[in-house]
Amino acid sequence: MLNVILETCAGTLTQGLIYAILSYGIFITYKILDFPDLTVDGSFPLGAAVTAVLLTHGVNAWLTLPIALVIGALAGLCTGLIHVRAKVRDLLAGIITMTALYSINLQIAGSNLMVERAIDTIYTSAPVMALLGSVPLLYRKLIVSLVLVLLIGLVLEWYFSTKNGLLLRAVGDNDTLVTTLAVDKGRMKILGLVIANALVALSGCIVCQEGRSFSATMGTGQMVFGLAAVIIGTTLFRRMSFVKGTAAVVIGSILYKACIQIAILLGLPGNMLKFITAALFLVILITGNLSGRKGGADRAGA
Amino acid sequence: MKTNLKKVFALIFAAMFVFCFAACGEKKVPVIGISQYGEHESLDNCREGFLQGLKDAGLVEGTDYTIDYQNAGFDDNITKQIAESFSANNVALMCGIATPSATACYAAAENKDIPVIFTAITDPVQAKLDTGNVTGTSDKLAVEGQLELIRALQPEAKTIGILYTTSEPNSVSAIAEYEEKAPAYGFTIEAVGVTAQSEVVQACDTLLARGVDCMSNLTDNNVVGVLPAILEKTNAKSIPVYGSEIEQVKKGCVASIGIDYYELGRQTGQMAAKVLKGEATCEEMPYETISEYGLYVNYTALTEMGLTLPEELAGRAIDANA
Repeated sequence: MLNVILETCAGTLTQGLIYAILSYGIFITYKILDFPDLTVDGSFPLGAAVTAVLLTHGVNAWLTLPIALVIGALAGLCTGLIHVRAKVRDLLAGIITMTALYSINLQIAGSNLMVERAIDTIYTSAPVMALLGSVPLLYRKLIVSLVLVLLIGLVLEWYFSTKNGLLLRAVGDNDTLVTTLAVDKGRMKILGLVIANALVALSGCIVCQEGRSFSATMGTGQMVFGLAAVIIGTTLFRRMSFVKGTAAVVIGSILYKACIQIAILLGLPGNMLKFITAALFLVILITGNLSGRKGGADRAGA
Repeated sequence: MKTNLKKVFALIFAAMFVFCFAACGEKKVPVIGISQYGEHESLDNCREGFLQGLKDAGLVEGTDYTIDYQNAGFDDNITKQIAESFSANNVALMCGIATPSATACYAAAENKDIPVIFTAITDPVQAKLDTGNVTGTSDKLAVEGQLELIRALQPEAKTIGILYTTSEPNSVSAIAEYEEKAPAYGFTIEAVGVTAQSEVVQACDTLLARGVDCMSNLTDNNVVGVLPAILEKTNAKSIPVYGSEIEQVKKGCVASIGIDYYELGRQTGQMAAKVLKGEATCEEMPYETISEYGLYVNYTALTEMGLTLPEELAGRAIDANA
């Protein structure tokens, strides 16, 4: 009984965590750069496609993580160059890359791919088994995902505090300042897109290993998911300055997946699933906003 | 603020706890978790057939098993969460209807090695669901039967147009089979691929502009989903459309050599019953294909197209609208 509850929570947390890496990416583009980056719907399955192919060809599971990062970075670079150098509007630049990536993903993976159980993923790889071999797979997935998400979060927070990271943040907030500092703001934008999409592809890589599959349509709606996670997280923690942006995003992502889990557990007709999820979001955001108002003067909305 | 935040979290997790309790209040009867990719006649028929198959095998719902039915609304990411919740709830068996759901179930079943039964998968080998604690039924198309049927109804026809989704492995492998086998029946295949449902109608225009003598459908979800729009265009040009299963013929395709998904589901349900009773494991049972294909005919559509069913076929034809 207790076990069922624990396992449901562990499963939901794992899903929230591995998708939180994608939300980190959207945090950078949407919250920091103020750039609505639709590349995400293409770079997320890109990471998964590359991973599925590499794993089926016997490449070490851990090695797929840096490879996915690099490939995702290239996708971000494309969007960045299209926007900054070719002067295409931000939304459209993302749409162009996303559309092209759909075909590229299919070209890479052939079609939808399944990673057999005999193939080791990061969750069943030798180093993890040596440390956590006695832990059931479900909890092992949770622990490994948690460690990865924390590590990436820490690296990001460290980066945001460096000079380069501060400049990146300034591009979204006050780009004239960046120009007066004699820094090319276009270059900073490209850098932001590169980092963001590298993270998104990394998330795709880990999701592919967790779910042992790649499908061409897995990217559909990921941008919307990421936005929701970022907004839910940052709205809830708006007034708590000690909560870092990355932490807020992780919690937003977990809450999103928890809402879907509740809708599933409710056992309503499948077609109502999204409606229930939407209703739960609304409740969370309204609660968050109300509490913000009590705290004093407040900017409207998230 | 802090207290309110706590309230949000408490609310969310309390809700999860309550529903967990509710979901597993009665724990003695084995639960069968059915994960269906989306609401869709063929897939619904599969599920209903599956439930009938369990009953046919002598199992009684409520005493021998209970059903936890979930539907992912065609969202690949939700199939994962559904499968995870089945695993957490310790279901005795998972049934995945259509490839994305089956794949997600099999991945989540790894945690506890729960048996997985699938149905409505065209190519289980390609989907890598042919070995391990997993088995089920395949809805492989009867391509040769369909080509034979088209030849019998349209002796003069040369080109068959087919619309398909490039990302659906089932469709891609079916197109390959059509192209391989068509020349033997004197046909050439004119295939147009799409990436999303919104492009199907445009692709249909392209196909009709290229000039085809008839169209043949696969079990492609995107294409079948907008079948009425396709039929409107083909009817205007008097181009017959052949379906791939009974539901499409009901909607206005002239005829089909195809699968009765209800029967396919029933076959699957019987396999699941064997696993539940402990008579066989998934490893021991290879996946099955449907034993008999039916000939389904829509007589109204046939007359509209000016086609007549040859006598040798008329005997075994089933009226789809009967």
